[in-house]
Amino acid sequence: MNAVELSGVTKTFGTLTAVDTLDLKVPEGRVYGFIGPNGSGKTTTLRMIMNIYFPDDGEIKIFGEPLRGAVSDRIGYMPEERGLYKKMKVGDLLLFYGGLKNGKDLASEVDRWLNRFDLIEWKDKKIETLSKGMSQKVQFIATIISQPEMIILDEPFSGLDPVNMDTIREAILDLQKEGRTIIFSTHDMNVAERMCDYIFMIYKGKKVLDDTLEAIQDRFGDDTIRVRLTNPQVDLNRIAGITKINNFGQIQEIRTSETADPQNILREILNLTPVRSFEITRPSLHDIFVRIAAPESMEENHA
Amino acid sequence: MHKVWKVAVRDYIAAVKTKGFIIGLAVVPVVMSGSVIAMILLGDQVDTTDKKIAVLDHTGFVAAAVIEAAEERNASAVYEKKTGNKVKPVYLIETVEIDSLNLNQQKLELSDQVRADELHGFVEIFQEALHPSQNWDDTHIAYYAKNAALDDIRRWLIGPINVKLRSERLKQLGVQDIDQDELFAWLSVEGRNLIEKDAETGHVQDSQKSEEWHAIVVPIIMLMLMFILILMGASPLLNAVMEEKLQRIAEVLLGSIQPFQLMLGKLLGGTMVTLTGAGVYILAAIFATMQLGIYDIIPVYIIPWFFVYLILAIFMLGSIFAALGSTASDVKDAQSMTFPAMIPVLIPMFILTPVLKEPLSDFSTWMSLVPLFTPMLMMVRMGTPQGIPMWQPWVGLVGVILFTILSVWASGRIFRVGILIQGSTPKLSKMIKWIFKG
Repeated sequence: MNAVELSGVTKTFGTLTAVDTLDLKVPEGRVYGFIGPNGSGKTTTLRMIMNIYFPDDGEIKIFGEPLRGAVSDRIGYMPEERGLYKKMKVGDLLLFYGGLKNGKDLASEVDRWLNRFDLIEWKDKKIETLSKGMSQKVQFIATIISQPEMIILDEPFSGLDPVNMDTIREAILDLQKEGRTIIFSTHDMNVAERMCDYIFMIYKGKKVLDDTLEAIQDRFGDDTIRVRLTNPQVDLNRIAGITKINNFGQIQEIRTSETADPQNILREILNLTPVRSFEITRPSLHDIFVRIAAPESMEENHA
Repeated sequence: MHKVWKVAVRDYIAAVKTKGFIIGLAVVPVVMSGSVIAMILLGDQVDTTDKKIAVLDHTGFVAAAVIEAAEERNASAVYEKKTGNKVKPVYLIETVEIDSLNLNQQKLELSDQVRADELHGFVEIFQEALHPSQNWDDTHIAYYAKNAALDDIRRWLIGPINVKLRSERLKQLGVQDIDQDELFAWLSVEGRNLIEKDAETGHVQDSQKSEEWHAIVVPIIMLMLMFILILMGASPLLNAVMEEKLQRIAEVLLGSIQPFQLMLGKLLGGTMVTLTGAGVYILAAIFATMQLGIYDIIPVYIIPWFFVYLILAIFMLGSIFAALGSTASDVKDAQSMTFPAMIPVLIPMFILTPVLKEPLSDFSTWMSLVPLFTPMLMMVRMGTPQGIPMWQPWVGLVGVILFTILSVWASGRIFRVGILIQGSTPKLSKMIKWIFKG
C-alpha cells in the first residue's frame, strides 16, 4: 500500500501556481527524498500532505484514506522553521506535542528518546536554556514521540553539526527499519543520495524526477568523468568532447558529449598534467539537479 | 475535542504559572480602584496650619458674623474630641478697614501679604450682597487666595456670610426673634426601595432606604470586574497568537490540530484563566463583605448571569483578538492593533455615567443590546437597585450568542490563513476577503 498518494494536486496562491497537477505515490516503509530549488513547491506539497493547506484541485490519500483530521495523527511533521515553546520544560513539551497526536506510552517514549539523544538531564529544564543543536534534537523527538507510521521532515539536517547530523540520520534509518515511512526534503544532495530509496524532484511546481537514484542516473547516462589532478589549475576546457566542468577544487566532474571517447580525453588530460585518479561514472544527483535547475537560474542571472 | 482541551490546558498553565498573573490578580483591582482608595486613605491628610483671613466688608455687619462663626468652628471642629489631636486648621478672621479712596492699592497690598505667606487669603463682601436680586450678574462676594477656586475656606465662607445676610434681610422686613434654623430647614428627599409583600407571611413590608452609594457601587464593581476579567482572558490572546506565529510554533501545532480547533483551545484556555480570576475576586468580595457586615449588597441573583456573559465575552472578544494576532507580523503591528481591538470594552466604560443614572432610558437599553457591549452594560443595568425588565438580559443573551458564533466563525477563517502567512500585515479588506473566500 502507498503511504501517500497524490493525484492531480494543484495549489495556487493568487496568480502563482505553487504546485501544478502533481501525481506522487510514496510506498510504505521507504525513505523518500524531496529535492528542488527554493520556492519550487516542496514545502507547499508537504503542507498539503499534512492537511495544513487544502489543494485547489486533485486528491490526496494517506494510507489509502482521504485526508482528514484523524489521519494526520498517523503522521509526524517537522516543519522547516522550528518552533518550540521557550518557557516550557523539555519533558512537558514533548508530552504536550505527543498528546496532540494522541500518542501512546508517551512518558516512557520521552525517557527513551531523551536517553538516546543524551538529553535526559535536560528533561526538567526549560527550552530556552538549550543550545541550538539540543533544541533541534528536541524538535526531532517532538516529531516522532507519538510513534507515527509516517514521518515528514522538512530540511531535517539544516544547521546541524556533523555529530548531531549523524545522530538524527541514524535515528531516521532506525525508524525506517521499524517499518515507518520517511519523507524528507533536503538541499544536501549527498544526504539524499546516501539515504533515500526514492528521489522526487519538484521544479516550478511540477514533478521533474520521481524514481530510485539508480533509475534516475540511468536516465542521464554515463557521460560523466570524475578526475583528481596533480595540478588542478590546468584548463581542461580546450579538450575536445568536454561540454562542462564542475570544479569542486580537488575533484573535477567533467561532462562529455555523447560521441566523445573517455580514453581520448584521458590521454589529452595526461598531456597537460599527471592524473591521480580517473573514474567514468554516472552523473551525481548534484549534477542532475543543476542540469535541471541551472539553465533557468543562469538565464535569470543574466536577465 | 481532546486536542482542543490539550491546547486549553497548556495555555492555562502557561498563563497562571507566571508571576505576572499572580501579581496582576492582586494589582489590577488596586490600580483600578486606586483613586478611590487613595481618596479614602489620604482624605484626612489636610494642612492643619492656622489660616489667617482678612475681610473687606462693605456692608459693615457681615464680618462680625464671620468672625463669630469662625470662633465657633475653631472651638468645635479643629481638635478631635477623643484624642485631642489637631485635625483641621484654625481660621483666624480679621477685619480690615476699607480705604475706599485707594481700594485697589489696598487689595494689592493684601495680595502681596498673601504672596509673602503673611496672610492665607482675603474676602471682599460688597454692599450689593444684601440685595443681590437687583443685579444678579455682579460679583457680590469675592475671595482672593493662591488657589482660590479649590480652597476649602471659600466653600466654608459661603455659610456664615449667607446666614448673616439672610437674617439682615429678615430684619429689614420686620421679622425678628425667630428660629432661623426652623424657618430655613432644608430637607432632602430620601430614596427608598419599592414596598414588597413578604412571600411567607403575606405582610406588607416597609421598604429599606435606598442608599446612593449602594446604587452606584454595585454596578460599577460589576462593570470593573467584567472589564478586568475580559482584559485578563481575552486581550492576551493577541500577543500569544502572534508569538506562536512568529516563533513558528503555529506550524508545528497545525501539523497535529486544525486551525479552528487551535483557536478554540486558546479561547478555552483564556476562559479558564478568566474564571480563575473571577473565582478569586468573587470569593474575596464575599469574604470582605461578610467581614464588613454588608454581605447583602452582593446581588446574588445576577452572579449566574455574570458568569454566562463573561464566558461569552471571552469567546466573542477573544476570537477577535486571536484573529488579529494571527495577522500580525511583528510586535509593533500587534501593539498598533491593540487599541482598536479594545474599543468594544472601552465604549461601555465611556458611557457608564448616563447608563448608571438612567438604566431604563432608551439609550441605555439599546446600547446594552449591542452584542459587543451587552456583557458589560447589561451587568451595570442589572446591578442598579431598580433592575431591568427580565426579558432584556435574555434578549441580550441571544444577541451575544449569535454574535459570538459569527465572531468565532469569521475569526477562525482569518486565523486559518493569517497564522501561516509571513511578511507584511494584511489590510482589513484582505482579512474580509479571507472570511468569505478563505
